[in-house]
Amino acid sequence: MRTTEELGGAGVAPAPRPANLVRRLVAITTRPTVILPALNLVLFFAVWEYVGRQIDPILFSPPSRVIRVFGELIISGELLRATLVTVGTLAVGYGLSVAVGIPVGVLLGRQAVLGRVVNPYLDAIYATPRVVIVPLMILWFGVGFTGRLFLIFLGTVIPIIVSTAVGVRDARPDLIEVAQSFGALGFHVVRHVQLPAAVPFVASGLRIGAERAVVGVVVGEIFLELTGLGGLIQLNAVRFNTAEVLCSVVVIAVIGIVFIGLLDALERRVSPWREAT
Amino acid sequence: MTAIRVSIPSWRARGAVPHLLFGAVIFGTWEAYGRLGDSLLVPPVSAILAALYDLTLSGQLPSALLESATLLAAGLSAALVIGFVFGVITGRSKVMHRTLSPFFNALFVTPTVALVPLVLIWFGFEFQGRVIVVFLAAVVAVLISVHAGIRDAPPDLVDVARSFGVDSEIGLLRHVLLRAAVPLIMSGIRLAVGRAVVGMAVAEVYLRLGGIGALISGYGAVFRTDYLFASILPLPIMGIGLAALVARIERRFQSWRTYASEASE
Repeated sequence: MRTTEELGGAGVAPAPRPANLVRRLVAITTRPTVILPALNLVLFFAVWEYVGRQIDPILFSPPSRVIRVFGELIISGELLRATLVTVGTLAVGYGLSVAVGIPVGVLLGRQAVLGRVVNPYLDAIYATPRVVIVPLMILWFGVGFTGRLFLIFLGTVIPIIVSTAVGVRDARPDLIEVAQSFGALGFHVVRHVQLPAAVPFVASGLRIGAERAVVGVVVGEIFLELTGLGGLIQLNAVRFNTAEVLCSVVVIAVIGIVFIGLLDALERRVSPWREAT
Repeated sequence: MTAIRVSIPSWRARGAVPHLLFGAVIFGTWEAYGRLGDSLLVPPVSAILAALYDLTLSGQLPSALLESATLLAAGLSAALVIGFVFGVITGRSKVMHRTLSPFFNALFVTPTVALVPLVLIWFGFEFQGRVIVVFLAAVVAVLISVHAGIRDAPPDLVDVARSFGVDSEIGLLRHVLLRAAVPLIMSGIRLAVGRAVVGMAVAEVYLRLGGIGALISGYGAVFRTDYLFASILPLPIMGIGLAALVARIERRFQSWRTYASEASE
């Protein structure tokens, strides 16, 4: 994942003192890592605007129109309502996946045979694209919140389980022995040795899970129940309102970025002794 | 007879017994539940297998799979080629990297599902539009891994190659950079394959025009759960099979790599 961050260019700078802020801002903005992409984006939007005005507005919206529509969607409250639905479902589904995934992962990591036996089934579910199980969700849970929740859960819980299990399994056996020789019970070993050792693994599982949760929530909203940002995309796509569709897509992308950013911050807090990657 | 006797201990040695037991419990429970409970919600395993047999024999499943596989192959190979080329370019040139990375990053963080309606409006509901969905789903994973692999190639290897007269960009790429990048590239390809399968499924389910996705949404719409399960089943098999294939190719490269690193030490 380090690669995507680095592709992003601007690294995370330590918080500057207010006195240096202006100078730092100037220094940052004239850096080639910032100025090149910025110039390029300007060029990109200029070309898009130019081309967009030539083409049939039914198919293609120039950025000026997208921005105007974005303003309209915000003022009407439509975008905010949709975002709240999407973020709410995402939060519940992800929270559920974490609450189930980490304990199950610890269990599968400690019971080696069970872990090995269950793994193929987890792999199979993981390898099934979630769009194709939408009909099953409708059949089992009906068209509604539960089905959408389950779509998120199914995709998110598995990477969390699998990577937690790997981390717990790979905890250094000598540390476990030391803990046991000091009289630690199974619970203590998990709490003080295996879980701390598994932190980087759990973190990577949480991160993969987060990406999949965002996909899951959108799949649910486009294919299962037309609601939230996914619903906004689909409802506007069938009317060829490409500007509205683009606005919703951008908001979804931003939700994903903020989500991953929060996870990164959390990981740095949970494991301050590790060098942040 | 003897062959069977010999094979049992070797199974046991590979730890197959718990797998078989667990599988028996899972599928036994499933079958029993399907027969006793609501077979519309959870069809028994035997009914799913019967449906699978019927779908295969009638030619519906093979022809749908063929259509899907064609779509997957077209989109994935385009993603591999273009991702590779741009990965090499951005890996070698900092200016190109800084110029292009915002676009690829934007594409990478946007779930492909959200783009599907837009892409299909722009590029049409025919084969072309669907190929572009698969392509978009997979291309950035390839690009990022090739980029990272080439950028992080050990500089001492480059120095050695230079001192032995490998000076052209192409020569460096062929003899040093790409070889050093193989593990990263392969992991990117594995990621891309998984994403391409998802892209394929999304495009087909969205359009309901053909391929395995149309088969699935068709049977889902009429609540034929046994046929629904039978037509979903090929997808995880396809995904896992392709991932295993990539892993095999990776191991071949890997064996060569161990040899090379031993030689360099």
